[in-house]
Amino acid sequence: MNDTTVSATEHRRLRRWLVLRRNLTAYLFLAPALVFFGTFLVWPGLSLFVQTFQTGGVMSPAVFVGTENWERTFADPLVLKTIWNTLRYCLMAIPAVFVIAMIFALALNSISVGQTAFKTMIYYPTLQPILIAALMFTFVLHQDFGVLNIVMRAIAGEPVNFLGNEDLAMPTIAMVEVWKGMGFWALLFLAGIQNLPKDLYHAAELDGAGPVRRFFQLTLPLLKPTFFFSVTFATIVNLQVFDSIFILTDGGPFHSTASTTWYIYRSLFTFSEPGYGATLSFVLVLVVLVLTAIQSYAFRDRR
Amino acid sequence: MWRLARRKRNAVSLKPTLPMVTMSYGVLMLAAVISIVPFLYILSTSVKDTNSLFSYPPEWIPDELFWGNYAKLLQETSFLNWTLNTFMIGLAITVLKLVIDAMAAYSLAKLQFAGKRFVSATLLLAVAIPVAALIIPLFFLVRSMGLLNTYWALILPALANPLGIFLLRSFIVSLPDDLIHSARLDGAGELRIFAQIILPLISSGLVVHAIFTFMLQYTNFLWPLVAIQSDSRQVLTVGISSLKSNFVVDWGLISAASLLATIPITLLFLALQRFFLAQSLSSALKG
Repeated sequence: MNDTTVSATEHRRLRRWLVLRRNLTAYLFLAPALVFFGTFLVWPGLSLFVQTFQTGGVMSPAVFVGTENWERTFADPLVLKTIWNTLRYCLMAIPAVFVIAMIFALALNSISVGQTAFKTMIYYPTLQPILIAALMFTFVLHQDFGVLNIVMRAIAGEPVNFLGNEDLAMPTIAMVEVWKGMGFWALLFLAGIQNLPKDLYHAAELDGAGPVRRFFQLTLPLLKPTFFFSVTFATIVNLQVFDSIFILTDGGPFHSTASTTWYIYRSLFTFSEPGYGATLSFVLVLVVLVLTAIQSYAFRDRR
Repeated sequence: MWRLARRKRNAVSLKPTLPMVTMSYGVLMLAAVISIVPFLYILSTSVKDTNSLFSYPPEWIPDELFWGNYAKLLQETSFLNWTLNTFMIGLAITVLKLVIDAMAAYSLAKLQFAGKRFVSATLLLAVAIPVAALIIPLFFLVRSMGLLNTYWALILPALANPLGIFLLRSFIVSLPDDLIHSARLDGAGELRIFAQIILPLISSGLVVHAIFTFMLQYTNFLWPLVAIQSDSRQVLTVGISSLKSNFVVDWGLISAASLLATIPITLLFLALQRFFLAQSLSSALKG
């Protein structure tokens, strides 16, 4: 660049033009994504907030009702119950699927012959939509012809009504998620384990640390970034649990499997109360954001 | 001294001990049984007359194969329509999303512009918004656009999810900047750099993204349940669930449907297995 041929003002103008062009190019590349993001995510997000202060809208135009929906939400015992049910479901499904997946990952890591075949079989349920997984569970749980109940009849003499029992229904719903998710998380954890530095393990073994100690003092702490991603992701997904409940119990018995998303869906389609449903949705967003924030805090680097 | 150290190093090779390997095979055998047996059982159910389903002890392999469930499924329900709809919509979303997300990812990874941090932060924050919470406003938005009960109702909202942008960005960020600089010096425009240099280099990332997008769509249930009313325009998941809503549940029909629904996705899985199993997982971590 030869500065002497360009005057200072001209230089500035040229520079401004270049910056403008650079910004324009970047935003043109972003434009399609931002248009859809704005229309189908930001806009519905904002209207969700507005809708919490409205009623009607399905057949007749929506009207503002102030804080009525919010007052009802706080007074409705079913709201608290659905939040509790959703959390209960997550507390059952996520730890269970993670522990089982970790055991599978460790087992896969210590074999060499047939690893791909086992990976393929264990991963297979993950391919199925949760809805189909849940439907397939009917064939496992059904009182007359369910596989598990055929076993129960052989062992205990009588079948168990897994989905009709208030105490058993939610753990059973969680079981669907465990069955469908275990292969996915197992392979994710396996990838994490295989990426860990080998030298540390040699050093640990030289120091006389056995396999159990190596697992708890090396593998688990080193996998912290994997766990952070997994826990956050699994929490966001599972707090929205709906498909398996819709197909297996429809919230019953006695609302013992009624999740927040189930209540949102019902308030729109069964009760025709979109305003109330919007308020419940807003509560769900808050629950997810608060839990995600707590998790990021718990997993923060303490170095 | 040196030799001793070396021998010791060899001695602590991390090869798992024999009992550990045996135990691992035991665990994996059990895992495989738990994973596969439900599929075999619905296969067995689907080739049985529903009445014989209730006989105890059960017949795992029926004496006579009964094809009535499959015939009924293909003739009396819109199963083929649902399958076709699912794959057409999934394909449309995947193609559109690849283009949209790759462009945005290139911009965020390699271009400098004002407001970049704000745009990234907004997109990232949206990843934590539960989609299920947006179905009510989305329902009214799509209805006001006149798109309710059309394929567009399923395609357009799916393009808003920003997760794929971050996945592809992690692939583009690792490409050397010099590549782009030298192309610019040669007079290539940004669009040409993007299409002819960046895209070919992140092809494995694009495959991973395509699989993720397609699977997300394929497994979707709540939104099609809300947005599509007519049976012939429905997708597989909702269509199959509608088989259960009859007063007398036809279990043979449902088992045939569940099993048949797994076939296309199984073929896709077998064809692209290495992307499903290995790369998709480790790259998901980066993003």
